[in-house]
Amino acid sequence: MDRNHLKRQVDFMKRSLLDQGYLDEQFIQLEELQDDDNPNFVEEIVTLFFNDSARLLQNIEQALVSGPIDFTRLDNYMHQFKGSSSSIGAKRVKNECTRFKEYCTAGNAEGCFRTFVQVKQEHAILRTKLETYFQLARQAGPSGTSGGQVR
Amino acid sequence: MGAAVDHVSPMGMSGGSAEGNNKSDGQRFSCKNKLTALVVDNGAVCRAIQTALLRSYGVETEAVETGEAAVQLIASGATFNLIIIEMLLPVLNGPETARQIRAMGAQSKILGISAFFDERHQQEFLAAGADRFIEKPLSPEIVIPIIWVLDN
Repeated sequence: MDRNHLKRQVDFMKRSLLDQGYLDEQFIQLEELQDDDNPNFVEEIVTLFFNDSARLLQNIEQALVSGPIDFTRLDNYMHQFKGSSSSIGAKRVKNECTRFKEYCTAGNAEGCFRTFVQVKQEHAILRTKLETYFQLARQAGPSGTSGGQVR
Repeated sequence: MGAAVDHVSPMGMSGGSAEGNNKSDGQRFSCKNKLTALVVDNGAVCRAIQTALLRSYGVETEAVETGEAAVQLIASGATFNLIIIEMLLPVLNGPETARQIRAMGAQSKILGISAFFDERHQQEFLAAGADRFIEKPLSPEIVIPIIWVLDN
């Protein structure tokens, strides 16, 4: 398999994830942190994010369905979730978090429920896309996800 | 010692050095002097990213999960040029952590950080002695000028 071809595919996929708003500049910043000492930094961080955030989403779901809603608790969970989402450059997820927060602050349970569905959806979509992306990057070999520099 | 300090990130990154990071290509900003930083965040993802970012500029960075751990660390004599503190920490929140750190006489630059920008939180942090309050993510645009000032 032509490695340059794979690398181009990786770059193309990244470009389209950015263009479609799934990811933002922050993701590129993470790739800039990747080097020979830490060749898998981005994938490791993203994996950490999805493990961590799955737990937070579960907590949010629990808080939404069990009894009277504690909006402060919801806010705290969402705070951590949005913080990590924005830190990995998960743009659409982050935007849904902001919408959720608005309903939460307003004490609007129905709004929270509806937005939470969107949050979960964007989270799942991004997870799938990034799994594909990293698979492709691994096939492309070391520096498959370089910040664009030729090594 | 009660403070649990995260010296080694899962990625096994070096502690950073004044000589700069290990990028062989491109020109990445790097501090000239030995600078130290402390990241205080209860989220593993944010801790890891902020630590990696600072280390990439040659800043020796440690990370802790709680305000209490940060306070203990400083009480034990550790000093840092820069301390980045998340707003919504459990138990001892961000501003309270900053307050206690200042009360010990720490001259560090303190940056309050949060997932959502909120004027109330900004006021709380600044009143507690933080120098600045920003919304996540911690980006090069924010952090490079801060490091540059500390370095010069």
